[in-house]
Amino acid sequence: MNEFIDKILGIVGWEAIITIIGLVGVLVVVVVNALILTWAERKVSGHIQRRIGPKEVGPFGLLQPIADTIKLIAKELLTPKNVEKPLYFLAPVIVFIPVMVSFVVIPFDARLQVKDINVGILVILAFSSLSVLSILLAGWGSNNKFSLIGSVRSVAQNIAYEIPLLLALLSVVLMANSLSLKDIVEAQKGVWYIFLQPIAFLVFFIAGVAETNRTPFDLPEAESELVAGFHTEYSGMRFALFFLAEYTNMFIICAITTTFFLGGYQGPILPGFVWFFGKTYLLVFVILWFRWTFPRVRFDQLLNFSWKLLIPVSLLNLIITGGILKL
Amino acid sequence: MVGKIFEELKTSLAGFDLHEASYEQNGYHLTVDAQKGNILDVAGFFKSRAYYLEDMCCVDYLDYLEIVYFFNRYSELCRVKVTLKIEPGKPVAPTISHIYTMARWYEREIHEFFGVYFDGHPNLTYLFLHEGIDLYPLRKKAVPVSDESKKLLNSYNPQEEEDAFFVNLGPQHPSTHGVLRVVVKMDGEYIISAEPVLGYLHRMHEKMAENRSYLQFLPNPARIDYPGALFFNLAHVATVEKLCGIEVPERAQYVRTITCELNRIASHLLWLGAFPADLGALTPFMYAFDDREQILDILEDVTGSRLTYCYFRFGGLYNDVDDTFIDKTKNFIKRMRGRFSMYEKLITGNVIFVNRAKGTGIFEQAEVTKYGCTGPLVRSTGISFDIRKTEPYAVYDQVDFEVPVGTTGDNMDRYLVRIAEMEMSLRIIEQAIAKLPSGPFKAEKVPKKLKPPKGDIYYAVESSRGETGVYLVSDESDTPYRMRWRVPSFSNLMTFPALAEGTLLADAIATLGSYDIVVPEIDR
Repeated sequence: MNEFIDKILGIVGWEAIITIIGLVGVLVVVVVNALILTWAERKVSGHIQRRIGPKEVGPFGLLQPIADTIKLIAKELLTPKNVEKPLYFLAPVIVFIPVMVSFVVIPFDARLQVKDINVGILVILAFSSLSVLSILLAGWGSNNKFSLIGSVRSVAQNIAYEIPLLLALLSVVLMANSLSLKDIVEAQKGVWYIFLQPIAFLVFFIAGVAETNRTPFDLPEAESELVAGFHTEYSGMRFALFFLAEYTNMFIICAITTTFFLGGYQGPILPGFVWFFGKTYLLVFVILWFRWTFPRVRFDQLLNFSWKLLIPVSLLNLIITGGILKL
Repeated sequence: MVGKIFEELKTSLAGFDLHEASYEQNGYHLTVDAQKGNILDVAGFFKSRAYYLEDMCCVDYLDYLEIVYFFNRYSELCRVKVTLKIEPGKPVAPTISHIYTMARWYEREIHEFFGVYFDGHPNLTYLFLHEGIDLYPLRKKAVPVSDESKKLLNSYNPQEEEDAFFVNLGPQHPSTHGVLRVVVKMDGEYIISAEPVLGYLHRMHEKMAENRSYLQFLPNPARIDYPGALFFNLAHVATVEKLCGIEVPERAQYVRTITCELNRIASHLLWLGAFPADLGALTPFMYAFDDREQILDILEDVTGSRLTYCYFRFGGLYNDVDDTFIDKTKNFIKRMRGRFSMYEKLITGNVIFVNRAKGTGIFEQAEVTKYGCTGPLVRSTGISFDIRKTEPYAVYDQVDFEVPVGTTGDNMDRYLVRIAEMEMSLRIIEQAIAKLPSGPFKAEKVPKKLKPPKGDIYYAVESSRGETGVYLVSDESDTPYRMRWRVPSFSNLMTFPALAEGTLLADAIATLGSYDIVVPEIDR
């Protein structure tokens, strides 16, 4: 038996085994996280709106997301008549792949990371840009005018907000002198970057909320204007995949913010991953808070905010950071 | 003051068949018998004097059809009834839609209900009725649908064009507040034109009124406008009372005022919840509904229902209010005063909200008379027009209140006007409660079967959306000969195509939300 294992290890290598285990772990985290966040969103929105949210299924309604999932799985997968079938089927699948990849490089703890890649942040940014592709496919493939408007909005919005996102991260990268997420966390041993780079933090977080299409930047699905935007024609499990991707994206943005600005897994007494998840879910709560207290911005206001305010500010911040580091 | 306007009108309209009417009896000051040849001159004359087209309807007198135009003005009350008699065989009348834009819809309505063909109307298709209809419902004798009308049955049918596409907002859409359908022609995010398509909730209350006695029709008006049921209830009851000369005890008048103002606040709160929801903020809805719930509880105690109230009776009320009602109302006033500062902080001060509402959906004061809008929509442009002030009914002349007005007529102004109106309503309720006299709550000896004397009357009340008027023609029988409802949302919505043109889709949705339209009221 041992020989057999050795043989396999000889072929694929230890690293591959660890990666596979890690990927399975990522899948679990993605699903569990989405379940927690659906529950959290309903509970938070309930309490903000003077309600109590779900309470019937399980203690404090904790099993509500599972009940919802069963309902969504059990539903018939409706395909509207005039959809562009390949694109329509592909979009919910494609939306899910990039968010999985992003998890691979996030350091949840000092030794809890699937793979430390020396261009980690590039991997995340590159793959998160892919999600807009799936939204575009969903909008186009649905053959619905509301979906199309929503997806076109989404493209413009993502282009506008990826630039400040990147510029804000660059100033941190300059200070940490590395693109590896683990190195960046280690560089924050003394003082977190939120104190050294408050402007970059704000720009990144705002742009991050816009990247995940959450209120006040939820224009692609603006329900009062576009019914449900790009996923108007989706139902059942296909809709659930979009839903899952949205919550995972939200988690990733908060996880990156934690890694880059809040010292990642670092913190006293408690184990690192507790700190990491604690900080991340705090930021997630802030995003939920935004959603249930703010109205939606208008399309031109959204783009103006990015091109006229966030990008100049983050550029200036980058130049100042570079100048100070050079001195 | 009214006398001076009369003299002026008499000299300017010397060539026309002019009669003076008794305002006390008929609700209008002057009648003009126009002819087909000079109706355009009459309309043009009133347009040039800043009169607005208050209402336009048709009455079938068997020998002839009479088209009735009501002109009124915002600055000083002077209601003029202009009549145009046409022969019923082949009814044709000139259109006045190029003078008063609002006449477009009124004329379409008259065309489908009476078969009157309007010469020169740009789009005389059916407004409310469906394609399969084969009669003119409001004609007293069955008249088959003419061939001309049959050609016009097909409702709005947009043609696709290059560089533009059509989007159907509604009848199922989250922010059309019911079953309104707006066909929007768009170029990217910008709206080229918007055309409301009505009739999805048409129930023909006007025909129902002709087949029921006055008492039997009593529950119907509440179904016309469900968030403001008491105003419609009052409009019906008060019109009949005035026509029959029934005296209403003072206590009943005071209670009517109090309950109506409570209803106004409830209706505005419903809007306060829905308007931010149109802008993407869903939470204010819950807070507004929480406050509204308190009013519903109070009104449930006295009226017996929570939404479609039928509380007023001919000559008084269904039952008297008690001390619990007074206490509860006083508590509510106290509670509501504190809530305004919260709304101020949460909504009025929100940067995103202000950016969305300010400077969008601007309704120019100069445009107002073309449409004949009323209510907060017209007050937001700076015109202080309120039926409660110009023609005080119930006891509005005995309480002290102001009419809040806006300045620019944008969405923000409409929001602020409604918030101020709610505060004003609290003030009215407070005064009315302090002055509430004791005594009977119902007039004695009101016959079960009402048979009003022959004649017609126009009576209006200020609902939460604007002027709600009833034009009632009686032929001494126990059912109305013709009961016409002038509803505020109808003329308010007419301004939407003009306001939406050239704006972003999101702004058009905000503008539509700021109107506070109620679709069953528009469709009747």
